[in-house]
Amino acid sequence: MGGGARRVALVLAGVLLVAGCAGTPEDPTAAGDGGGQAGGTAEPVAGGAGGDGGGASGDPIRIGISLPLSGDFSEPGVGVQQGYEVWAESVNRAGGLLGRPVELLFRDDASDPNRVVSDYESLITQEEVDLVFGPFSTRLVIPAAEVAESYDMLFVEPAGAAPEVFEQGFEYLFYAAPAVANDHYNYLADWILALPEDQRPQTAAYAAMDDPFAQGTAYGLKDRLEAGGIETVVDEVYPPDTTDFSAIGARVAAADADIVVGGTQFEDAVGLVRSFQELGYQPRLAAFSTGPTLPEFDEAVSGATEGILSPVGYAVGAEIEGNAEFAALHEELHGTPPTEDAANGYTVGQVVAAAVEAVGCAEQGEECQRALADHIRANEFQTVVGPLSFDEAGRPQSAHLIQQWQGGEVQIVLPEDSDAVTAEVQFPKAEW
Amino acid sequence: MSGTLLAQGLVLGILTGGLYALLASGLTLYFGVMKVVMVAHPAFLFLAAYATYALHTATGIDPLLTTVVTVPTFFALGVAVQRLLVARLAPESLATMSVLLTFALALLIEGGLGVVATGSYRSVTVDYASQALRLGSVALPADRLIAFGVAAVTLGGLFVVLRLTRFGRALRATISHATAARLVGIDTDRVTAIGFGIGLATAALGGAVLSLISPFFPAAHWAWIGRLMAVIVVGGLGSVQGAAVAALLLGVLEALLQVTWGATPAALLFYAFLFATLLVRPQGLFGGRLAQRF
Repeated sequence: MGGGARRVALVLAGVLLVAGCAGTPEDPTAAGDGGGQAGGTAEPVAGGAGGDGGGASGDPIRIGISLPLSGDFSEPGVGVQQGYEVWAESVNRAGGLLGRPVELLFRDDASDPNRVVSDYESLITQEEVDLVFGPFSTRLVIPAAEVAESYDMLFVEPAGAAPEVFEQGFEYLFYAAPAVANDHYNYLADWILALPEDQRPQTAAYAAMDDPFAQGTAYGLKDRLEAGGIETVVDEVYPPDTTDFSAIGARVAAADADIVVGGTQFEDAVGLVRSFQELGYQPRLAAFSTGPTLPEFDEAVSGATEGILSPVGYAVGAEIEGNAEFAALHEELHGTPPTEDAANGYTVGQVVAAAVEAVGCAEQGEECQRALADHIRANEFQTVVGPLSFDEAGRPQSAHLIQQWQGGEVQIVLPEDSDAVTAEVQFPKAEW
Repeated sequence: MSGTLLAQGLVLGILTGGLYALLASGLTLYFGVMKVVMVAHPAFLFLAAYATYALHTATGIDPLLTTVVTVPTFFALGVAVQRLLVARLAPESLATMSVLLTFALALLIEGGLGVVATGSYRSVTVDYASQALRLGSVALPADRLIAFGVAAVTLGGLFVVLRLTRFGRALRATISHATAARLVGIDTDRVTAIGFGIGLATAALGGAVLSLISPFFPAAHWAWIGRLMAVIVVGGLGSVQGAAVAALLLGVLEALLQVTWGATPAALLFYAFLFATLLVRPQGLFGGRLAQRF
């Protein structure tokens, strides 16, 4: 029996390896390298044209895109896809790009970095698409951008906010959202540091997921607050597959800092809020990345949302040119208001479309693609997330709005001089 | 490092250990009953969490009361899975082939949940879940206390059934020596199917508790496979009390590491124990002959 037990134990160890490699379990909103578990449920889905060319004529402009349409990241992946589809539909209704209809070719990468590479390879070489749009999730952007770069293809992407993305020397990459991860909290940092001395918080605790995007947002704020003299009393990093936040929360709560900042996705934001509630920790200011921006958040923390701050790249109600039309068309095509992911997808389309119309070409080849990239680098673009311009490395040059939950609703509270602001910051926050 | 924080970590570790024991109990049972490595157990846990969510939102009844429906359903499902699928695997390669079979089941459940319920997060929220009992400056969160209570009742029940009932004796006889059990008149096929059903019934309870504690989505089960497998290997494959002791041990050590050293090293704990067990004591803490494990 001893030999049998050992054999079975080895089988179990093999299972763990399979589970570990194939199923890097992560939050579906995370930027991730999900891997084979999603791959197991999803075969590549080609096709899925975005529009049928009403008004436009001639050969369609074909655009290749790889997204996680199944598995772990299907939720944000489908959100981006819907944004792309809304963009294609609106372009086609308006007569197409350069008078030609646009057609979207989607591939499902199931968040697998290997798959995303082969998807873009085959879209570019076999399908011979004219343009490519970026995939979802920070960590997939780098391998995908390497492929685009090697074929001299313009690569505007909706979800690569981590610092590493812009440190690879890419010449064709642009991130079509207001700000990179480290700048998400800039308006909040400005606001905190501008508080009068007697009200300003003295200490801050940080808990961040070990993920380039989530951690980048929290550490961007940490750097600013530390420089402004606010002492860091806890700096906690946890792995993406953490399922239990009670003890992590206990460590943060024990420091009883004035400010708590979560570099979070969703489960972790919920887990930390619940842990703080149970432990009776009441900070004066609480900020969490992604989680509170999702509609499910309110239910998940049973309404303990009051006063929670988050950076947000897009507001459905913001009075920005073209935003009302985008929201209406999204509602018409998909039956729901657009999410931030959809807005980022749409924004990619807006930036590329403006460049294509200005340069007058949309085809493979270094000449056209480089002209498009040069145009994007040199100009400002009006998009549904506000005016966008880019630095040499493709970083967007704006910052995120700051939202706050007030009375069960999300209000835009910062920057104070913005048209998008709907309420004043509540400070100190109410107890949860 | 304050004493209060250590005490808080200890308390949370014990309560979380109880949750681990509940979630792993079915897993050790499948193995004990018929050497099936059930990779799909966490997927069934989340299937149960979704069932709890559906029943709770449709009828408004308390999530824990939904187990009146889900436990018998999952028991029947377990019997069906055993009879229709697992029983058809060749006995000589059962441990290996059951990994493949149940891996496929896990993917089917995950994909099915994705289609039916979408990839969005779901949460079952009840007012009492975010309350806490306070002993001095140490908080005992209500959701964890509930998990611990359900775990204690479930494991106690399993122990009683296996030790004291006629069915339990038949089950232990089947585990010990199936051929001999058949010779003395035990219907081993039936006993095995029921054993599997009981394993899935514990998943129904575990899923209900899990749904109270954290939000879930279809792919959430991957995070649990490694951890629960580590619990049953460390505890001794097939031993219910071994799984309980290992779960408490690992839960407490994990929480203490999280409050003292940090979450990243704490994440290594389960694997460190797993490899140490395989190297030093492959039969686990409560190993020995399979037959004696109950």
